[in-house]
Amino acid sequence: MGVEETAAPSAQAAAGGCGAPAGGAAISGAGNQAIVQGKVTRAGAPVQVGYARLLNVGGDFVAEVPLGEDGGFRFFAAPGDWTLRVLAPGGIRTDRAVTAATGEIREFEIVI
Amino acid sequence: MSRSDVLVDADWVEANRDDPGVVLVEVDEDTSAYDKGHIRGAVKIDWKKDLQDPVRRDFVDRAGFEKLLSERGISNDDTVILYGGNNNWFAAYAYWYFRLYGHRNVKLLDGGRKKWELESRELVTDVPRRPATSYKAQEQDTAIRAFRDEVVAAIGNLNLVDVRSPDEFAGRLLAPAHLPQEQAQRGGHVPTAKNVPWSKAAEDDGTFKSDDALRTLYGEAGVDFGRDTIAYCRIGERSAHTWFVLHELLGQPNVKNYDGSWTEYGSLVGVPITVGDAS
Repeated sequence: MGVEETAAPSAQAAAGGCGAPAGGAAISGAGNQAIVQGKVTRAGAPVQVGYARLLNVGGDFVAEVPLGEDGGFRFFAAPGDWTLRVLAPGGIRTDRAVTAATGEIREFEIVI
Repeated sequence: MSRSDVLVDADWVEANRDDPGVVLVEVDEDTSAYDKGHIRGAVKIDWKKDLQDPVRRDFVDRAGFEKLLSERGISNDDTVILYGGNNNWFAAYAYWYFRLYGHRNVKLLDGGRKKWELESRELVTDVPRRPATSYKAQEQDTAIRAFRDEVVAAIGNLNLVDVRSPDEFAGRLLAPAHLPQEQAQRGGHVPTAKNVPWSKAAEDDGTFKSDDALRTLYGEAGVDFGRDTIAYCRIGERSAHTWFVLHELLGQPNVKNYDGSWTEYGSLVGVPITVGDAS
């Protein structure tokens, strides 16, 4: 799995609180985290207005971030199975099953 | 109290935002969203820079709140409509804060920024100029704010509602899953707390569920509506969302938000902690 270096200044703002920076907090590697990340695209172009949500195996909400300008999202999950849900204008709601593992970055492209 | 006293929808905002007695306020921790586009006429409040004390671990005091609202051009008589990202977490926190300092007429935009965006409604970058006011705040109303000793005393006596995700409640995660898991404090929850994640009170689009659905949700989780309640999360904004549900939507009389929340409780020496999933 490749490591994506991002420099989203908004990620700095999340350090003290619980806010979800657009696209997800910036990282420099997986470390001991279990990362689920990726991009949302439509006709090959990034979807910049929309939301990615992480749901647990019971279907309950765990986390949400607004998509970044590159259509990106990132979650710091616990290892295991999750559902990735994308919401976008026009009533779009799409689900994808994903698995997270400690020390790994799992990357997904969601096409809507 | 009914929903129309504390909530407005997007159509109401579009119809009333030019009323001089209505002030729209976007509240976020990450205010770059406001800078890229906001509802026309809205001023911004930065949850961290504007609402948190820069030195002590507390939020700004009465004088600081008066200064902030005066600078933003908000008067005591204005109807303040709050909205923001993160499913209105920070807007709900600000709402609690406006109530704490005695503002009379404050409401949330149901669904916040997310629903507005998902409906492709207009966002602008023009920053409105409002003349400064001389805002006068009241003393803090501690009937809606809980401190750590009250939380310890509430164990086994009052409703304690932990509104974090099940993984945070159990102690497997120390922060929401959109943030790195690198907090230093212990994981787990306050003994006897019920786990009702804030998200169960909201739909996918960020709007609040119906009163009937909300009563069923908390009732089935073991919240006794005949007892006083303290809600907490990690730093107090998700629990402000639940405080809003219990106190403002459902009209429960004695509900407090513990804004110290798990970041404080999980770092206290000698207090009891329970780990593991809800029974």
